[in-house]
Amino acid sequence: MSWRRWNYVLHRDIGFLCIGLTLLYAISGVAVNHIKEWNPSYSVERVETNIGPVVGNPADAATALEILARLGEPGKLESSYRPDRNSLQLFVEGRSITVDLPSGHVVHDRAVPRPVLREMNYLHLNHPKKAWTWFADLYAVALAFLAVSGLFMLRRKTMRRGLVLTGIGVVIPLFFLILYL
Amino acid sequence: MHTFLITILLAAMLSPVTAFSKDFGNGVTLSEETAISAIIDTPADYVGKKVKVSGLIIDVCSTRGCWIYLAGDRDFEKIRIKVTDGEIVFPMEARGKVATVEGVVESMVLTREEVIKRRKHHAEEKGIDFDPASVASGETVLRIRGLGASIDGV
Repeated sequence: MSWRRWNYVLHRDIGFLCIGLTLLYAISGVAVNHIKEWNPSYSVERVETNIGPVVGNPADAATALEILARLGEPGKLESSYRPDRNSLQLFVEGRSITVDLPSGHVVHDRAVPRPVLREMNYLHLNHPKKAWTWFADLYAVALAFLAVSGLFMLRRKTMRRGLVLTGIGVVIPLFFLILYL
Repeated sequence: MHTFLITILLAAMLSPVTAFSKDFGNGVTLSEETAISAIIDTPADYVGKKVKVSGLIIDVCSTRGCWIYLAGDRDFEKIRIKVTDGEIVFPMEARGKVATVEGVVESMVLTREEVIKRRKHHAEEKGIDFDPASVASGETVLRIRGLGASIDGV
């Protein structure tokens, strides 16, 4: 088999292997690129309401349970914290409920993981570490191979167009480097 | 049928795992624990030193998981644990759980402008209103540069 044929076969098969990971990195890439505008892994829901003044002792569990009852909160109270003399923060199954005791103003915070996207970001940002680090490195090497082997697939008919497009792909990041660096 | 039974057995064996603690970063190695109140009372004794603290996680960075607030051992007190972005990522589900954290105590003297910038950023993250006029002056902030942590029940 000629080297051109080997190049073609490897480019094709490694390309197939990379499809899943490329989509994962691409979708997650867009998601985390806009981290300033949104939370890519969690949907943080915030609801404000008023349950009326709370007069019980904030250090007393009965007060916390009364607050949950007034809110109609069915979840189990896990823990509590007093940020200041007038506030009580309750934790119920991953949710945070902060109550201003004199006014009864309640801020209910709930972080819901974004399905699929959270898992994609978890891998993309290499949160697992360990063996995933090496696998992601291997994927990067495979991508580099696809880029270089693609150059050797140019035919005479498409050579000019291929080289021009490749050149543009190199110039674009250089342009932004000159612009912003 | 065999597969079904094995699956049920495995699920039963693995389910209590969630009740154990999960390690982050370098985990926790120090044996002696320092009270958060002690660090707040006499910061000079601890700045630059590695400590182990524990407490209830009352807040987590919702965008990057790059910090948590631990409740102190006294009412109304808390301390921020900041970790390097990406090295340790605290999950939002850690809120309300108890953490043991190891790290180096840091003291930062901030100008009024820096305090405004930090609080504005924090308010944006939390989706709450912030009035720069509420900041009267600069301040000294104590925090722990987190190196490892162990969180119960995540």
